[in-house]
Amino acid sequence: MATPDSAEVVVIGSGICGALAARKLALRGVPVLILEAGPRIDRGRIVAAFRNSPRKGDWMSPYPYSPWAMQPQYKPKDNGYLIQAGPYPYPAEYIRVVGGTTWHWAAQAWRLVPNDVRIKSLYGVGVDWPMTYEELDPWYQEAEEILGVAGADNTGSPRKHPFPLPPVADPWSMIRFRERLAPVYPVVANTVARNSRSYDGRPACVGNNSCQPICPVNAQYLGINAVEAAEAAGVKVRADAVVYRIEADAKGRIAAVHYYDPDKTSHRVTARQFILAANGIESPKLLLMSTSSKYPNGIANSSGMVGRHLMDHPSSSLTFYADEELWLGRGPQSPSSINTMRDGAFRSQHAAYRLDFTNISQVLSVTEALIAEGVYGPEFEKQLRWRAARQCNVKNVLEVLPNPDNRITLSSEKDALGIPKPVAHYSIDDYTRRGAERSKQDFAKIAELMGGTGLRYSPDGQFANNQHITGTLRMGDDPAKFVTDGFGRAHDHENLYMCGTGVMPTAATMNSTLTAVALALRTADHMVPAKSSGADNGGAT
Amino acid sequence: MKSVNTARGKVEPVDGCATPASRPDGPIDPARRKLLAGLVTAYTASLVPWALAVPVTDAGHGAFVALSAILAGKRVLNSVLGQRLHAALVDIEPGFDADCQALLKQIEAQQIDPAKLQGALDAAHSSLAPLPRKLMRAWCLGLVGDGEATRCVAYENALDAVMVADVLKPPTYAYGPYGSWSNPPAAKGGDEHGNA
Amino acid sequence: MNAPACKSLVAGLAVLLLGLQTCAAAAANSAGAAEIQRGQYVATASDCVACHTGPGAKPYAGGLATMTPIGPVVSTNITPSKTDGIGNYTEQQFSRAVRKGIRADGSHLYPVMPYTEYSQLTDADVQALYAYFMHGVQPVASKPPATRLPFPFNLRILMAGWNLLFLNRHPFQPDPAQSAEWNRGAYLVEGPAHCGTCHTPRNLLMASKSSDALAGGVVGTWFAPNITPDANSGIGNWSQQDIVDYLRSGRAPGKAQAAGPMAEAIDYSLRHLTPADLRAMAVYLKTVPARHDAADTRPVDAWGSAYADLASLRGKPLPKHADDMTGPQLYDAYCASCHQDQGQGSFDGGLPPLFHNTATGRFNTDNLVMVILDGVRWHTDGSGTRMPGFSGELTDRQIATLGTYVTQHFGNPAAKVTLTQVATARAGGAPSNLILLARILLAIVLVIIAAIIVWVVLAVVRRRRRAADAPAGR
Repeated sequence: MATPDSAEVVVIGSGICGALAARKLALRGVPVLILEAGPRIDRGRIVAAFRNSPRKGDWMSPYPYSPWAMQPQYKPKDNGYLIQAGPYPYPAEYIRVVGGTTWHWAAQAWRLVPNDVRIKSLYGVGVDWPMTYEELDPWYQEAEEILGVAGADNTGSPRKHPFPLPPVADPWSMIRFRERLAPVYPVVANTVARNSRSYDGRPACVGNNSCQPICPVNAQYLGINAVEAAEAAGVKVRADAVVYRIEADAKGRIAAVHYYDPDKTSHRVTARQFILAANGIESPKLLLMSTSSKYPNGIANSSGMVGRHLMDHPSSSLTFYADEELWLGRGPQSPSSINTMRDGAFRSQHAAYRLDFTNISQVLSVTEALIAEGVYGPEFEKQLRWRAARQCNVKNVLEVLPNPDNRITLSSEKDALGIPKPVAHYSIDDYTRRGAERSKQDFAKIAELMGGTGLRYSPDGQFANNQHITGTLRMGDDPAKFVTDGFGRAHDHENLYMCGTGVMPTAATMNSTLTAVALALRTADHMVPAKSSGADNGGAT
Repeated sequence: MKSVNTARGKVEPVDGCATPASRPDGPIDPARRKLLAGLVTAYTASLVPWALAVPVTDAGHGAFVALSAILAGKRVLNSVLGQRLHAALVDIEPGFDADCQALLKQIEAQQIDPAKLQGALDAAHSSLAPLPRKLMRAWCLGLVGDGEATRCVAYENALDAVMVADVLKPPTYAYGPYGSWSNPPAAKGGDEHGNA
Repeated sequence: MNAPACKSLVAGLAVLLLGLQTCAAAAANSAGAAEIQRGQYVATASDCVACHTGPGAKPYAGGLATMTPIGPVVSTNITPSKTDGIGNYTEQQFSRAVRKGIRADGSHLYPVMPYTEYSQLTDADVQALYAYFMHGVQPVASKPPATRLPFPFNLRILMAGWNLLFLNRHPFQPDPAQSAEWNRGAYLVEGPAHCGTCHTPRNLLMASKSSDALAGGVVGTWFAPNITPDANSGIGNWSQQDIVDYLRSGRAPGKAQAAGPMAEAIDYSLRHLTPADLRAMAVYLKTVPARHDAADTRPVDAWGSAYADLASLRGKPLPKHADDMTGPQLYDAYCASCHQDQGQGSFDGGLPPLFHNTATGRFNTDNLVMVILDGVRWHTDGSGTRMPGFSGELTDRQIATLGTYVTQHFGNPAAKVTLTQVATARAGGAPSNLILLARILLAIVLVIIAAIIVWVVLAVVRRRRRAADAPAGR
């Protein structure tokens, strides 16, 4: 083997969390090696592949598919990778490539609201976090400065220091929503890792309206930016290295990880410390696979909690025609929200939610609808323009409570390398469904204020998934109930840390990436405390 | 592909640049040139008067062009794209031309209003019922074929993009300099508002 | 300049501007605040800060290495620090340095410092400039590394000879036959703004060829184009307003965008000039002698048209290897997202069209290559990265293919981008043979001198011998 087989720290997974934790360690002088299961990809080719894609609505379609690093895909047909055990389907999507799944994300970079970390104490539901919101604030700030987060102060998440960037300019459609809903709802600009001006050498947004599946111009912070920054700091990244086993020594320390290359040649890499950052499904899968006589339930799993408490954000929605021309599709995709239902005493009764307005161009969905309806002749163009100008959509982003039965387990089915496929056990409980029911009032009011016609509610009991895979490695103080401690360290192994959305004890109502990044930076700091202050804080690389 | 600057200064693709020798889906060989007008009845001609001067290769292609014009209701259809779509559709389904001719004949015989076409075909459980959607999907979404065999033959010049090109760019194409999207949309209108 | 360096420079400039008033107040006894402010304007017009601020350094503290054909020349600290800057300079010494290229210690500056152009500065402007540098600039105690050029250029005395040949000795003389506006423009263009430093070609000895003033020159890996009023080769078809717009914003809509060193000149200097001064410069530039190149058959911004080859793209997979991508495929993947599928730019032209654009219409494609590699980056005006660079994404082969495709369809079809051109630009420019040339010339001169000495010695010896041999009592 020509490549070195040891490092001070090995990070499994090159997504935004693993890469930024790696970068932080490297900036503190630690040699770090990242092992990534998937290949390196190139932005321009993804853009070109999207334009050639026969499925423009399927944001996975432009991404390459590697037989050795399978990822869940559902179109044109389910590739059978993420096996559904039910009772409710959990069609999670993620990308196994260098840079990870934030290659396509909406860049919504929300903080929690302070009460999110105390819902057990305050509302008697879920579980409290092993830290306060105030403890998270500096890590949020650091994450926001790295990512270049643009936002306003009226979102319900207090902060000690200002956002690095001012809020992104509203699309016209959102200006109208804000004006017309003002009597009832404050419509706030989303906090987003999208450049409202040139930042850190990346350009300002130019409104390509394809934040998902790909920002073509690098105006939105992606995991690949984190990888490049990590590499600039000295981190080595090995692509196409599919870790399939974590090996513990007799004392319970992690000694090595084993990976396959695409030819299924096995390699062993040793290190003093390890970070598992392979996402909320692949990370628990890897822990569960790593069984031995000493660890029959897998690594870090003496509690039996690995893979449990799977959470995400289900959404129901309302689509309607406003009574004026809004022309969604001008500017970025995810501009605005209503945050009034993210917290309140009602959380003891039903799920909190954020209301999210899309600015995704409606042309594709309107065209598909017209073709399905059989509208032909001059009427087609007339209808296309009328509907594309007026169609709009609001969805809820619902909190899901941690439930041990919602979990990731291993299948007896194997992937191409002989590695077990993950199984998703998922359900949506009445607490969440009550939240969805409550949000219909808001949907109706919003449509009314916008002069809405042609109201189309998503079918009752049907929820879209938001790919915010949370909770499977949850952090907490009690080793019997939690996988990691409050710093992401495995309760069972002193030199194994976990980064990513999996460590979050609850899902709250915000897109999970920013919180996961803040926690990852905090974990890295805990692993190798700074010698002097500020050397690697502040973000612009 | 050459472009024309229309009266409003909008750049719209109209034709291809490839030579027939170099590419099978290039423009029609002038030696084989016919006009659509010679292939359709007075009823079809009344539906798509603007398409009658479109050159076509044979009756099958002619039926495709006539149907396309009827269904899309668009005064200008990109003839090079039309040939590529036609070639792709024929490639997938050898009976495609015959279906097009049959449907056109039916429209002409029964003088079917395009707005009522799909309803009529569905009501009659016609074997031709899927054809209009196939054509529209090709023209408007640039897609041909089904399931895993679906191919994207057009994006930027598919009709769904062209019909709103005065106000939207297709996703992945920048709208404009930062913040330009905050201005009210200055839609200039589509075909029925005088779009060439 | 990397981002942190740039950021600190911006921060430094802000501090500088804030500090100015305090300093000015403190210095009220020795120089008037108005004088200092005027001096600051002259310094801005002269763009002193661009060269005299190193990466991460405070303004005017020096340390920026400018690559020249004979090696890197490092700018000095020109803050009023008495230990490391020019705090001990008298006004006369200051004037000699700025206008004659001679330091206080008597040694010569390299003409990278455009004292040849600054020699045009009026006495009043030099006086104001001195007041500004002594009282309006914060002293910074730090010494950048000294310039060390290879032999023979380490002999600064050589520049005395160079100056004899090439240095103008008189400040700007207004032309009474021309308007005040024209004269102001001429002064700015020829003097402080030192346009000719880049835009006038240089001869073998690196001096500006005054016969070809503003006809286009080379600046490292960039090309400073012909800015004479020739309609095809220069900017003869630009209106006065086009020129003013360009100098103020870096954009002449529908014509050109500044990038590289020109963007820097506008960013730090020209955009801060008064509208009247920019207009004066435009007025003057419209009147300088036009220089025509017969190869330029139409205006640089009059080439090309909307074009797309969608038929070769849609429904067809990309080749496996990046270097096998075609021009249309590369354009689609890396350029079309902003410049649009047919190169037509955004609705309002804010993301520029690539046809009718000097970026693609120029026969010399060096700037096109540099922009693809480095992008368009501004440092102080807040626009930052106006266009991202692709040096990390694209190979030399891809840039050659892409560049040629772009000029072919959107620009001058005769223009090409070659593989070696891209490799050279990426490497920071072609290695110069000037050092070798100078050494050879010097060797030849030495050989000739030696030969002369030998000949003289032999002649003397022979004469003496002859004299000794001569019969006595001649």
